[in-house]
Amino acid sequence: MSSKHPSDTTPPGPDSAKGGRTAIRAILAVGGGLTLAVLGSLVLEFGLAPSWLTGQKSVPAASPKGAMADLFTPPPESTIPNDEFGASVRRGMAIFTATGTNAHDFVGNNLSCSNCHLDAGRQAFSAPMWAAYPVYPKYRSKNKMVNTMEDRIKGCFTYSMNAQGSPSGGPPPYGSDVYRDLQSYFYWMSKGLPIGETPDGAGFGKIDKPALPPSRERGAQVFAANCAVCHGKDGLGQTDVNGKTVFPPLWGPHSFNWGAGMHKASSAAAFIQHNMPLSEPGKLSAQEAWDVATFLDSHPRPKDPRQTGAITLQEADKKWHKSSEDFYGETVDGVVLGTGYPKPAPAAN
Amino acid sequence: MSKKNKQDPRLPDETFEPYEEPRLIPLPVYWIAIALAIWGVVTLVQTSNAGHFADKERAALGEKTASVASPAASTAAPDTGAGKALFADNCSSCHGDAGEGVADAIPPLHASDVIKAGGASAISQIVMRGIGGPLIVDKANYDGEMPSFSSVLSDTEIAAIADYVATDLNGMNSTVSPDQVAEIRTASEDMDPWDGGAGLASLINGLPPQPASENASAPSPEATATASLASQGTANIWSCASCHGDKGEGTQTVPRLAGLAPAYLAKQLHDFSKGTRISDSMAYVAKSLSETQITELANYYGAMSSPSGAQPALKGDLARGEQLALSGDYSKNVPACFTCHGTSGIGVGAQFPGLAAQQPAYIAHQLAMWAGGARHNSPLGLMAGIGKALSDEDRRAVADYLASLPPAAGNAKTALAVSPTLKETTNVQ
Repeated sequence: MSSKHPSDTTPPGPDSAKGGRTAIRAILAVGGGLTLAVLGSLVLEFGLAPSWLTGQKSVPAASPKGAMADLFTPPPESTIPNDEFGASVRRGMAIFTATGTNAHDFVGNNLSCSNCHLDAGRQAFSAPMWAAYPVYPKYRSKNKMVNTMEDRIKGCFTYSMNAQGSPSGGPPPYGSDVYRDLQSYFYWMSKGLPIGETPDGAGFGKIDKPALPPSRERGAQVFAANCAVCHGKDGLGQTDVNGKTVFPPLWGPHSFNWGAGMHKASSAAAFIQHNMPLSEPGKLSAQEAWDVATFLDSHPRPKDPRQTGAITLQEADKKWHKSSEDFYGETVDGVVLGTGYPKPAPAAN
Repeated sequence: MSKKNKQDPRLPDETFEPYEEPRLIPLPVYWIAIALAIWGVVTLVQTSNAGHFADKERAALGEKTASVASPAASTAAPDTGAGKALFADNCSSCHGDAGEGVADAIPPLHASDVIKAGGASAISQIVMRGIGGPLIVDKANYDGEMPSFSSVLSDTEIAAIADYVATDLNGMNSTVSPDQVAEIRTASEDMDPWDGGAGLASLINGLPPQPASENASAPSPEATATASLASQGTANIWSCASCHGDKGEGTQTVPRLAGLAPAYLAKQLHDFSKGTRISDSMAYVAKSLSETQITELANYYGAMSSPSGAQPALKGDLARGEQLALSGDYSKNVPACFTCHGTSGIGVGAQFPGLAAQQPAYIAHQLAMWAGGARHNSPLGLMAGIGKALSDEDRRAVADYLASLPPAAGNAKTALAVSPTLKETTNVQ
């Protein structure tokens, strides 16, 4: 610019030269102004402007899942086909989200699949069904056999849904439409994932070992501060005015039984740290998650359905509850845990 | 200085700058000035266009709701396709996609003995007035509250839904015309919801046996005094109704109060009084209320049933709003509204207020206040995170969707106990 700028020492020239310079300056000024305006709008358009300048929060920064962006995204509900198969997918989804209604005869508590498998089984790190479907059949040490998806779902009904307390007294029989529709839903959701590979986001994710041994006393404080608002001070959940379960019971007669995976502190702690409180996953530290999971485990719940006939509580404890993190068979606050309830209480009132 | 110069520019004054004349204004200053001018003009044009656009959209929406609201506008015979769509939009979030209900909570509409006895006309009666109290359907006991849809559905829409439920879900040969629904609307003006199965027995011949009514008693004298406080106010307490409306339905950013849980209302009044929820007018009112008055007002509005005073007004995307309310958006860590606030936004317990038929401007405003931190009295700060995760469009979408829902009926069962020993705090400064 200095070359075109009149130098300080040169006196003003004749009028014609002055007019030329003014014209050049005018062109330069307008051209530069336009360029600046275009550049400015481009910067705004591509979101390169700093947020303090625009006063807007950048959208990607607001998303807490930036690091999880490469996880599998199941297809949206709107893509369920409108044919016989799609109808089965929809029925499966309805069973998944309202299990006590749509698989009524086989549910012995107030829970639905979607209480723990969040977002109708789509949420990563809350054991999403798209991460489970591609890795079955597989061998499970829990029942020492190769499990098909149907076997696996049967296990869910037996333990997590406490089928022993259901109207039929057990899980759906093999070949039931309940399995057929649920598997349609899982299969539809897993489209595009490679068979036989466990995708990222499977299960409840990893959780660090706690620095201190988990304590139910500390856990009680964590519970009161973070969980009781929704699950109730007594942990028995909350219903709406119609009696529909809105917040699931964490223990007590209408929760999952002593054979369910969620009763293990390690599973519950991982689930809690990655998913609870809803909308604030990761709020609790690993230590807090372990403490509150331990507190959760130290309450009565329906009995382990494997403890039948002549098997005593002590034998069942040895056989299926060896883990030291387990309160099964112990006496807490004067209550022997694992004995269940005199007779299966009916689900809901 | 300019004045002197103008008087005689040839005579430099004592502030004469020998380098002033050749030093022209640097080009970058022109650039910035011109760029700002361009930006200013473009922004002006854009915003005036947007306002114009918004007005047009609102006008279109107004016309649409007007045509929906007036039963005379559409006399075309309802087809079951429309009925099915209306059922999906208005009924399925509680009664299930196939009308299967919810075990032990919400009665089924599919192959239901009550519907088979009553037909399309009885369905219209129940949709129009709502129903609450003990009821037996298909030998199962229910004791819930279904809201009245009279303020959110037109006669044509109610007729289409009733026909769909009677014919498609129950295989009946029973229909009802919009004109018949209009008669039902006239006859049931201002009537309370049907009183459970006992109430239906007077409507439907051949109804299976029903439980006895649990009808609430007549309002106590205190309730009448509270009603006067709410509607008239006193010398130093503004009347609630002057802002919240005669029927507690709210307007603009003033919320609907009717049917909200008394414990929630009382907590908010305490928070206003303590300053943990900020509003100058509400702080003024709350500080002049005694503990007893707070409890009685909370019970008064909690038990109040009134028609919806809200309708979508923020140009929100209703489909997106429905998605947020029913399924949430877990990619943003936003669970469904109804996961905590109850099916169809009827509210749960003391901590999760009802959202159905709430004023859309109020909801959007509160969500923005949670996001910005101006409101911060939610349990665990849950709403702050959700408010921040929602975009402006999302807030308007969900507010508009909630405004389209039928209001939850008032519920006297959730009333707080009025303790006579509570100390009077009327004179707190």
